[in-house]
Amino acid sequence: MQRHEALEVLSGLTNEDDLFVSSIGGLKDDWWNLRPGQSDNTFSHGALGSHSSTGLGLAIALPHRRIVVLETDGSILMNTGVMCTLGNERPPNLTVIVIDNEMYESVGRLPTHTSGNTDLARMAEGAGCINCTTVTTLDRFEVEVARLLDDGELGFLVAKIEPGVKQWPVQDRKPTDGVEDKYRFIRYVEQLEGIVIHPGTPSK
Amino acid sequence: MSLAPGGYAVPFVAALKSARISIVTALPDSLLKEAYGLLATDPDIRYLPVTNEGEMPGIVAGAYLGGKRAVMVMENSGLRQLCEPLARFSQVHHVPLVMIMTFRGDFGEPYYWGHTHAQSMEPLLQALRIPYRVVTDTAELEAMVMKSWVHAETSQWPVALVLSGDCVEERPYATT
Repeated sequence: MQRHEALEVLSGLTNEDDLFVSSIGGLKDDWWNLRPGQSDNTFSHGALGSHSSTGLGLAIALPHRRIVVLETDGSILMNTGVMCTLGNERPPNLTVIVIDNEMYESVGRLPTHTSGNTDLARMAEGAGCINCTTVTTLDRFEVEVARLLDDGELGFLVAKIEPGVKQWPVQDRKPTDGVEDKYRFIRYVEQLEGIVIHPGTPSK
Repeated sequence: MSLAPGGYAVPFVAALKSARISIVTALPDSLLKEAYGLLATDPDIRYLPVTNEGEMPGIVAGAYLGGKRAVMVMENSGLRQLCEPLARFSQVHHVPLVMIMTFRGDFGEPYYWGHTHAQSMEPLLQALRIPYRVVTDTAELEAMVMKSWVHAETSQWPVALVLSGDCVEERPYATT
């Protein structure tokens, strides 16, 4: 299973009403091109260790909406405590998908601990998360994602992928920076929810 | 002003609610110990305890991006834990963040281990270019929490509110 293949499947199972928090690295350009409807429904950030935390905050703020976190092994290994917080809160509208290539691919394919003895799904289960599964094939990925998105419970899926970064043409690479990403996401959520998040001048 | 033991807790929670804060993520500490119990049981507050302070910028940011007002509450020692998510997340993306921290190591600190918390707090806040105010009087809490929120929201940047004096547990050797 290649990363872009898995993300293509995820895109087909989700829509523009879902909100995503995404890590960076090879994920960034893949999801930029594959996100449902090419809408601004993804907050992509590079703070390794903070993606599931961001998804948790979003899921609690918007309990009626499906929230998907696109984690990586390198990111969640930087903050394994978040599994305990997820496991105690168990937000029913949150699905965490760890795209696990067992390496820090963009810095020279050096191995992460998931290439050795570390099993993230078992860690998550021990931390109190529910619906914790590891998949290694695209078929199983599709079945499990479809189930987790609509089961009304927290889901924690580890997707073991093959190494390799899809090279997108220059014009298809994500062109935005971190501040633009934030504003675009805010305006998208405002429109989706019919609310005001950042009014410029705050109301009391 | 002198309060009964734990008397800071009610005005603290009231100040949060007055600023329409509905989500509080925290790593409980002894200087606000009476407040955490109130927060955990208040029907208007969604209380989220975490395992370390580094989890909190993401949670607060996620809540903000979902249209809710959230704050994080901790001891000032937590600032050392969250420097990386603060710099790499809140500041790279310009996400507002209200950090409320107790001032362990303030003048008269009776515990030896508390002094380094103070020694690193202000240099770190300055290095991270985070505006902050120290509040010692519970009568100021309501206005200062609201100002913290407004400042963070309009600047799209982190802000710190540091609690000491009457706003936290009394130190064993305090005389005034």
